[in-house]
Amino acid sequence: MYIHLIKETKGALSLVEHWRTRFAFVMAAIGSAVGLGNVWRFPYVCYANGGGAFLIPFFIAIFTAGIPLLILELSVGHWAREAPPKAFKKIGEKWEWVGWWTTLIPFLVATYYVVVMAWCFSYMIYSINLRWGANADIFFLNNFLGISGSPEIIGGIRLPVLFGLIAIWICIFLILYKGVGRIGKIVLITVPLPWILLVLLTIRGITLPGALEGVSYYLTPDFSKLTDVNVWLAAYAQVFFSLSLAQGIMITYASYLKKKSDISNNAFIIAFADTGTSFLAGFTVFSVVGYLAFQNGVGIDSLGISGPHLAFITYPTAISLFPVAAVIFGISFYVALLTFGIDSAFSMTEPMIASAESKWKISKIKTTAIICSIGFFASLIFTTESGLYWLTIVDHFVANFGLVMIGLIECLILGWMFRISKLREHANERSDIKIGKWWDILIKYVAPLILILLLIFAIINNIISPPFGYPVWVVVVGGVAPILIIFILSFVFMKIKKGEKVD
Amino acid sequence: MGLSISAIAMLIIGATVIYGGLAYFLYRALKSMKK
Repeated sequence: MYIHLIKETKGALSLVEHWRTRFAFVMAAIGSAVGLGNVWRFPYVCYANGGGAFLIPFFIAIFTAGIPLLILELSVGHWAREAPPKAFKKIGEKWEWVGWWTTLIPFLVATYYVVVMAWCFSYMIYSINLRWGANADIFFLNNFLGISGSPEIIGGIRLPVLFGLIAIWICIFLILYKGVGRIGKIVLITVPLPWILLVLLTIRGITLPGALEGVSYYLTPDFSKLTDVNVWLAAYAQVFFSLSLAQGIMITYASYLKKKSDISNNAFIIAFADTGTSFLAGFTVFSVVGYLAFQNGVGIDSLGISGPHLAFITYPTAISLFPVAAVIFGISFYVALLTFGIDSAFSMTEPMIASAESKWKISKIKTTAIICSIGFFASLIFTTESGLYWLTIVDHFVANFGLVMIGLIECLILGWMFRISKLREHANERSDIKIGKWWDILIKYVAPLILILLLIFAIINNIISPPFGYPVWVVVVGGVAPILIIFILSFVFMKIKKGEKVD
Repeated sequence: MGLSISAIAMLIIGATVIYGGLAYFLYRALKSMKK
């Protein structure tokens, strides 16, 4: 049950939702930050950028960008006590569109993120009889996805993916329509459960032959890589993407905190829990990859160790070779991915629901139903035979440009157009750990500089070596258009006054 | 081949900073809640 408090604003009474306990908020925020990326992105990024040596720039990135930005978003949400659009409107009337942008981008991410979860859902069922057989790659691409020859050939909807998609969107609806009270209850299961499963999978993994060689690849440091600027940028990008920053999620979640809630210490706990999950996942992944390399007598480099390839080809192949209890470990792995993913998926949808509910006079249940339905129909393109192509293109542009641009604009507006010390004082007034003026410098100078560098490098890399060999129109439709449409929609939503709630 | 010394060192350093840090901030949260 969540607490409804009566808020009086200019004579009008309104109901305000609150987290029941501090623990519920922290768990929900950890659940949002920890997702599929912790399992299939961090271990690979660590391995590709100097192994154990990568931990040095990674820790520096956490302290100089991750935690300061997390404190910033939590402070904005708690100070404004509103969903992102109204929070930015409070900062300045003309900035409401930034709030809508931070809300629409994660919603776009949710539309394809949920499809990946639908894959996990199907694979959880397939684990019962290890249906992928000896050729997990052929099974995944041909039998399961029925992948078309190119993104231009859309193809039909894949029914196993569609059924999974319906199940996941229904779950999201059922979790969100009751408000943060239900979220607080759900995360008590969905946050610790995958952690327990990850520990079990790691214990199983490191006891397999060849596992230690795999872990050696993951952790053996190559300190020469520390002189490479790309490694540092990879560390900052990893921290930025992993902590659910610039997605309006932390602003929304913090807006549900009670007045006297801690901010800074919560930010440290969220960041360290997220990092701890990634670090542990590295052992889960590399021990099994090491085992597979040992069994097949090949090098680890020749195996897919990141993204969908890891989860749906490499890992199932290794599971099939497990000497005992392959089915149990198969199911455990996909349940872990599903439970890691579900918190992130609903946290990416909640800002949109909270924003629409806050702007227009629509009930929570109606808003949730409308947003989940829109999300479902938007997801359908990713369930087609060309879905994997479109998913990869949209994800590439959203991650490299959409999120980084929001992060940059957020820092510039809050750091330069607003008195940043006001937010620091707000956080310090109620936090156990007091932050100093160094935080202002990080938000005003360091974080924007890093985000500008990330943006410049992403633009250069995309021009020098275009990431896809597809026709230009495909990249424009799948990558550039969604970001542009969201940009335009942000202004449209800001301008729509009809039915708007009066504060 | 097992884990190299440098890999073991990074394992210890990484685990200490991450899980030690998490334990420390959780402890501070619990302490402040008791006040």
